[in-house]
Amino acid sequence: MIDFSILINNLDTYLEGFKNTIFASIIGLVGSFIIGVIVAVMRIAPIKPLNWIGTVYVEFIRNIPLLIIAFFFYVGLPAVGVTLSGFVAGTIALSIYTASFIAEAIRAGIQSVPKGQMEAARSSGLTYVQAMRTIILPQAIKIVIPPIGNQFINLVKNSSILGIIAGLDLMYFGDIVSSHTFVTFDVYIFVALFYLVLTIPLSLGVGYLEKRLARNH
Amino acid sequence: MIRFDSVNKYYGDFHVLQNINLEINKGEVVVVIGPSGSGKSTMLRCINRLETISDGELIVNGVKVNDKKTNINELRRNIGMVFQHFNLYPHKTVLQNITLAPTMALNQSKEEAEKTARYYLEKVGIPDKVNSYPSQLSGGQQQRVAIARGLAMKPEIMLFDEPTSALDPEMIGEVLDVMKALAKEGMTMVVVTHEMGFAKEVADRIIFMDHGQILEQGKPADFYANPKEERARLFLSRVLNH
Repeated sequence: MIDFSILINNLDTYLEGFKNTIFASIIGLVGSFIIGVIVAVMRIAPIKPLNWIGTVYVEFIRNIPLLIIAFFFYVGLPAVGVTLSGFVAGTIALSIYTASFIAEAIRAGIQSVPKGQMEAARSSGLTYVQAMRTIILPQAIKIVIPPIGNQFINLVKNSSILGIIAGLDLMYFGDIVSSHTFVTFDVYIFVALFYLVLTIPLSLGVGYLEKRLARNH
Repeated sequence: MIRFDSVNKYYGDFHVLQNINLEINKGEVVVVIGPSGSGKSTMLRCINRLETISDGELIVNGVKVNDKKTNINELRRNIGMVFQHFNLYPHKTVLQNITLAPTMALNQSKEEAEKTARYYLEKVGIPDKVNSYPSQLSGGQQQRVAIARGLAMKPEIMLFDEPTSALDPEMIGEVLDVMKALAKEGMTMVVVTHEMGFAKEVADRIIFMDHGQILEQGKPADFYANPKEERARLFLSRVLNH
């Protein structure tokens, strides 16, 4: 049987970590989305050097383990005189890592809109930006919601790397509870439950959005 | 109104357009025919710079299309285009499809643009579809909406890129009828098509293309009765005798 007294006796510690995991996730969500959109636009804009920068970003970042990116910000930067807290370093790493996947999802979504749509819009005299905003992006968004939702769920789970670099998140405090109580199994069951509290509503929300967007033409 | 002057275009090594010289006057209806891959559509798409040219000069409405200083959006507002696959915006209603460019590119008021849209929908024979989405329309209806969308910008030139090729046979007539009416009103039209009946009846001039070249051009009566080029003769015998 799972020992609920561990949860009850250490509730404050759990909640402190839970709070920080929520913060890291929200900042990561917003940050990765903004960076992702910028990188995606760089990859498809009709300007060669921007394409290259975007491609290098995506191929570089998404092919390095997240943990190493986090280490770079946490233990690498102090070597050149920049010291970040575990929370800040981890959240930055989380954002730029997830952004590379989001950029790819957005790029694929935009490119899956038939070419004729852009041609029709441009040939009627709209500018590239107008055509993007009114014709391409509204169609791309429906295609992009499910993969981005998946990335957001991954982001919340991946935020557990903060635990390794003293990021004061759920995982970090889980470790602390475990080392105080000498219990391992039950402690991490509760950690997992806290993550589910975040990810299941997120998952349902994405599903709902997907259905709603599919309904209107 | 449209002038190609020694225009060439390459896709890598492939010479898509070879030394095109062509002048199209105001009010003229020019029909471009020829086998698949002959460069007809490419030539048409150069007129509003959906395709760029490799060398030569192309002047539309007195403006060099490929000049860096040319405001391409301004030029395009004066050239309507109808595509083979209609390219209506699926997330917008028929009315929104038609009013989008007039409100965004010409800064017309919503009321004015909607009035114009309804006028042209009436003209293409589907005034009752104002609030439908493209997916609720037949192919023929979609293409007529696309024509109305082009006309709503009040362009001086209309380009048609195989407008009936993606349609079921019984819907071709309704689209051609709209185009015929448009031609009678004096619209300058360049039409890439395989509809020989339409070409015979409506065209002021037929252009025959093959392998990126204009091989022959003339009045439809002369061209169909007595094509000079061997390849034109062969092409006609294939498309007419079936």
